[in-house]
Amino acid sequence: MHWFESQLSSLDQLAEAYRSSQPTSYDDIVEVSEEICLKRSQFVHAVQALVNKVVRIKGITACAAYHDGLILAHSGKTPHIDALGAMIQESTGVAQQSSATLSLGEIEQIVIVGAINKIAILGVGPITLCILSPRDTNLAHVLGQDIKKHINLNT
Amino acid sequence: MSSNIKSIDPRKALSLEIDFILHNLMRIQGVSAVAMVDIDGLITHIRHNSEVNTDAIGASVQVVFGAATKAALHVGHHVTNMVICENAEGYILSTPIDAGFMLAMVTERDALLGKVRFELKETIPVLKKLFANYLLK
Repeated sequence: MHWFESQLSSLDQLAEAYRSSQPTSYDDIVEVSEEICLKRSQFVHAVQALVNKVVRIKGITACAAYHDGLILAHSGKTPHIDALGAMIQESTGVAQQSSATLSLGEIEQIVIVGAINKIAILGVGPITLCILSPRDTNLAHVLGQDIKKHINLNT
Repeated sequence: MSSNIKSIDPRKALSLEIDFILHNLMRIQGVSAVAMVDIDGLITHIRHNSEVNTDAIGASVQVVFGAATKAALHVGHHVTNMVICENAEGYILSTPIDAGFMLAMVTERDALLGKVRFELKETIPVLKKLFANYLLK
């Protein structure tokens, strides 16, 4: 399996475990609060771990995770980290509108390619993951390889 | 008629639960203080890892939240769920719980706002339920 896909799949499982740990009835929320807290913590730690791993891959400039447009985890050189969150929210909103009009289904990823850099935005559970790289980086290739072969040993 | 005077056991249990929740919130990176503030701006529970003027924080959080609530009403935003103060050296987040109680969080500048807000938003329903259970007893 594609390395990054397998990581996203693990994150998705943790997000689902967290989502399903939440009680269907508000009445039970106190009884299960410790378990919810644990699942949430596992998910958030896994997000931070993935962000840290991704940024060590050669060709990736930065990686960040946002919740409702606010920073949740980041690693690497992320300029204007708050502005990036706002931009991601805006882009996601536009993409969702387009998706509805064009019947694309739920948005899974957005890639914006500039003349110098590019950015990939992916939704994982309640968070949005964002990967920045130079324009020339083949994201599918670098993220698809076994991470050990691509880790930039200089960092 | 329900009385505001409760027997010690439910109060003790509530206090322990709140302490546990505050302890968990303190574990978030960059959080320097977490406090429960009553309707009069007095601190009922607090955890902190740096010097905090507890009297000042309780009163000012209630004042700021009251002002934000008024502002929200003036623009037709109805209920205020959270107030975030962005300061030169960090953030103060305050959220209403029940019966005038509020949860206030003080963070350093390097705190990840999304992470703090995410944890806070997910924790509030538990605190609300705890208070609702307690007030019903």
